[in-house]
Parts: sequence; structure tokens; C-alpha cells
Amino acid sequence: MRSRINLYIVEYAINSLLRQKYKTLFIGLVLTLLIFLLSSVFFITNSMKHELQATVDALPEITVQKIKAGRHDEIDVDVIDAILELNGVESAVARVWGYYYFQNAGVNFTLVGIDEYEEQYKKSFVAAASKLDFTKPSMLVGEGVKRVMDANYYKEYFNFIKPDGSLKRVDIGGVFKAETELESNDIILMSKESVREIFDMKENKATDIVVRVANFNEVATIASKIKLLYPDTRVITKDDLKISYQNIFDYKSGIFLALFTTALFAFFIIIYDRASGLSSEQKREIGILKAIGWRVDDVLREKFYEGFVVSLLAYVVGITLALAFVYIFHAPFLREIFSGYSQLKTSFALPFVLDMQTLALLFFLTVPLYIAAIIIPSWRSATLEADEVIR
Amino acid sequence: MIRLVDVVKKYEVNQSQSVVALDGINLEIKKGEVVVLRGSSGSGKSTILSLIAALSKPTSGEVVVGDERISKLPDSFASDFRRNTIGFVFQKYNLIHTLSVEENIILPLVPINLDAKEIKVKLERVLGMFHIAHKAKQLVKNLSGGEQQRVAIARANINNPQIILADEPTANLDAKLSLSFVEIVKELKAEGKTIVIATHDPLFFGLDVVDREIEISQGKLL
Repeated sequence: MRSRINLYIVEYAINSLLRQKYKTLFIGLVLTLLIFLLSSVFFITNSMKHELQATVDALPEITVQKIKAGRHDEIDVDVIDAILELNGVESAVARVWGYYYFQNAGVNFTLVGIDEYEEQYKKSFVAAASKLDFTKPSMLVGEGVKRVMDANYYKEYFNFIKPDGSLKRVDIGGVFKAETELESNDIILMSKESVREIFDMKENKATDIVVRVANFNEVATIASKIKLLYPDTRVITKDDLKISYQNIFDYKSGIFLALFTTALFAFFIIIYDRASGLSSEQKREIGILKAIGWRVDDVLREKFYEGFVVSLLAYVVGITLALAFVYIFHAPFLREIFSGYSQLKTSFALPFVLDMQTLALLFFLTVPLYIAAIIIPSWRSATLEADEVIR
Repeated sequence: MIRLVDVVKKYEVNQSQSVVALDGINLEIKKGEVVVLRGSSGSGKSTILSLIAALSKPTSGEVVVGDERISKLPDSFASDFRRNTIGFVFQKYNLIHTLSVEENIILPLVPINLDAKEIKVKLERVLGMFHIAHKAKQLVKNLSGGEQQRVAIARANINNPQIILADEPTANLDAKLSLSFVEIVKELKAEGKTIVIATHDPLFFGLDVVDREIEISQGKLL
């Protein structure tokens, strides 16, 4: 009979919480808030990591940039011919791209030029190239760009201001979608010809050249060969870019770590407070229960249920709120810290990444700790002689 | 029924000092007997009740109730013993004020996990027996002293224990309510229960219902 779950003890525990409803509510709210904050940080970090990994995976193996006076300059398209002659090079494509600042919205768009018959250096561009109308000035825009343009009444076309002050009207031909929103969100795809016109670039010039290598192990060798061929270039490998992305990510993670530590610190203060002792009223109640025949394990079971109900409820509500905050409301305030794109990039939605490990970590970091903090002082009182506790 | 053999109880004041509450007590109480422990405050009578109820353990000596050497019982067995054998009416009643009358009364039954029907039968029996059925749903904190005492007595009797221990039961009651407690003692005695009352209230001295009065002073029986 005693092995069954004793619903009377569960009922007593719930009533005990209700009897101290303001205290329970306050502790529950603080716990919920902390779990919400911790889980929001985890969810954003996970989503950003996922987004970043996908972006890094989509990067070209080698990027060649012309450097003039220490700054990035336009590169001659002829360089491609020499690069293609290097052993191990599979393809080399001149990229025409740049940032266009849209003053009305205060954001930067990334304009990328593609050619209809050229080999596309990104998988996502292949489908886009077939969708884009090359017979007239037309473009495909990322979701974020579309939102910004819609908000500024550019629903069917957009007027780009060229360096000489004249306008270039380009029709909006559709929405461009890549594997990740971070990658496609602020992008505008159009013909290389249109991009050159908007940025006033000559036909034999490109922003940079991306090189694909047949054998991944040869990337470093080919990169050094290109550097030897063209000493005025900067040759960036995928690994270099990975490191630089990772550095930005780590820096931002540091800010999040500070937030995380603060939330955790607050949580441990609550735990310490709960674990450091019981009020005289609580001790007296334990003494009474023991005096009328409750065993130590009955008292601890009752306290376990109390802690479990509060912490599990706080956990479920905290996680649910964090999921809504991050994935429905797009984590206002917190996301900006991480992405750092608030002003210059169009906003993007965080991809939904639900990592069970994260949920388990949060669970074990909060629920058992809180229960332990409730049980330990109760155990101390319950194991004293009942007579001593009542007196 | 109840035997205390060479019982000594010391309370530690600090690491080097202790107070002797009971000093070599030998006492035997028979089944169905009503015994009054008389003595001034601090004489040790409450400590004797605590030892009989296994609420504390003697420093030396032995406490035997029935066949059970309760001074040697592990904590969990001591709890079971209290629940099944002892009904304790504390001086300050020791009720949980934020619970209702019936919730307080059934508290000793909570860990046993009985059927709801069985609990109801036991509850109704004591509510009727101690005339508090009309207050069953009220919070204990809203009751008078006499009513609270009845709740405490009802709780002590919910498991129909063989032994009732009452510590200064009339200390917080007026004369009329004190007399009604005596009536309750008579009823319990009629049921064959062994009753030990620790008191310095003269009301209990020389009462018909009391079989024996034992004087205690400075931890020793006189």
C-alpha cells in the first residue's frame, strides 16, 4: 500500500503551496523568469549556430580579392583565365556584388549579380537563375528586403540611385530563398549587367573571384599559387572565413555568457536562500507532522512534491515563453545583441532549432536543484527529535 | 502497559553544559489507568510524556510500551508507533492554523494512504464524539481555545489509539471548558484507554476519574 503514489500527500503538498500563495507565486514567477532568460539565451545561441554553420558551409573554397592601398578594389575578370590554368582548379567565377544603402529604411541590401549561362557558385543561385528574367531589369529579393521594400511602398519595382545621381528602375520578379535566412535575407539577385550599372563598374571588372577546387586537401596549395601569381591580391580560404565568423560568434557568445551567468547567479541566490533554512513556522509544521506519526520520508515526499510542482511549472512555463519569445516574437532586444545587424542589415527570423540536449540541460540545471534546495533544510528539521522541533 | 526503567534525560545547553530533566525515573502505568503527573513547570512531567510518545529518546534507561522497547526504536518505527498507539494532546494544541478542522484531524491518516471512505468513517466518528462536526469546514485559526482543544483531542483519537497523553490540557482554558475536558477524559476512560495527564491544575487532583496521581519535582518522582 505504501508503494503507491500517496495522493493525500500530493494533495497536502499542493494545499501547502496554496496556503502560502503569495510566497509561492513570487518564487514561481522569479524561477519562471530565470528559466525563461536562460532558455532564451540557449535557443538564440542554438539558432544562430545553426544559421552560421549553414552560411559557412555555403561559402566558396577560395575567394580572390584585389587589394589596392590596403583596401579591397575591383579585380580584372581576365585573372580567371590564369587561375583556371592552375592544376586542381575546378572552376573560377567572377562575382559582381556590393552593398547598397537604402536611406529611407536605414538598411543595407546586398546586391549580387548572376549570369544566366554561367556556372553558379552557390547552389541556391541555380534555381534563382532559372527564375530571374534576364531580358529586362528584374530582380529576386530576400524576405527581409521584400518586407523593407513593401513598407516603403516599393511593391513592384525599386529605384536604385546610381553614383551619378540618376535612377535605375528594376522590377521585383519574386522572392529569393536560400538554405538559411541569414544567407538570403538581405540579398537582391539581378543580372551582373544591372549590378555593374548600379555600382558604376566596368564590364571587365568584378568585385572578387571565387574558385572551386576539385580536391579539398589542395585548397591551401592552390591559394598560395594564386597569391604567387597575383601578389596584389588577398586570397581567402573557407577556413579563414570560418575562423573570422567563429571569432565574431565567440565575441557575441561572451555577451550572452555574461547574461547567462547573471541569470544563473540569481537562480543560485534563490537556491541558497531556500537551502539555508526554514522559517520557524515551517519547522513547527514539520515537528507537528512528525509528532502525529509522519515518518521522515513522508515529510520529505511532501516537500519533494512541493518543490516539484513549483519548479516543473516554472520550467514548462519558462520554456514555453522562451519558445514564443524567440521563435514567434523573434527575440526582440536579445537577438540584436547577438546578430549585431540591427541597423545595417534587414531583420531576419531565427530558424527553429529545438535541441533536446539544451532542454535536458535546463531541466537538470533548475528542477532537481530547486527540489534539493527545498528538501535539504526539511530533511535537517525532520531528522531532529520531534520534541526538539516543536519546543 | 507503560514502563520507564531508570530513565535519565539530559538536554544539552551547549557543548560543556547540560540540564538534567529526568533523573532515574522508574514508573509503571497499567492498561486502562488514568494517571496524573503533578508538578511545577520544569519539573520534568512533559519530558516523561515526550519519552512515552517516542518524541525523544532517553539519555539512559529504557521506555517500554506494551512489548515495544520504544527508547530503542529507529525513527521511522517510532513514527509508526506514534501514529498507531499514541494520541498526544499538546499544551498549545499544535494544530496547523491555516488548515480546516477536518484537515487537521485527518493529518495522522495522510501517510497511511487509506481509502477515502475509510477516512470519512474515522473522521465522522471523532467529529461526533467530540462535538465539533458543525465546525468541520472552518479554519482552526477562527476557533475558540476550547474548540481548538477539541480538534486536538479529535486528532489524537482519529486512529483510536490505546494511549492518550495530554500535556497541560487545561492551561489555556477557562473553568467551564476545563470541566468539559474532564468529561472527555471520563468518556475516553470508559472506552478503556490508558490516559496520562501532565498538569499542575488543581482541578485534576482528587478527581474520581483519576486512578493515580504521581508527584514529580526536579526530574525525580516523589
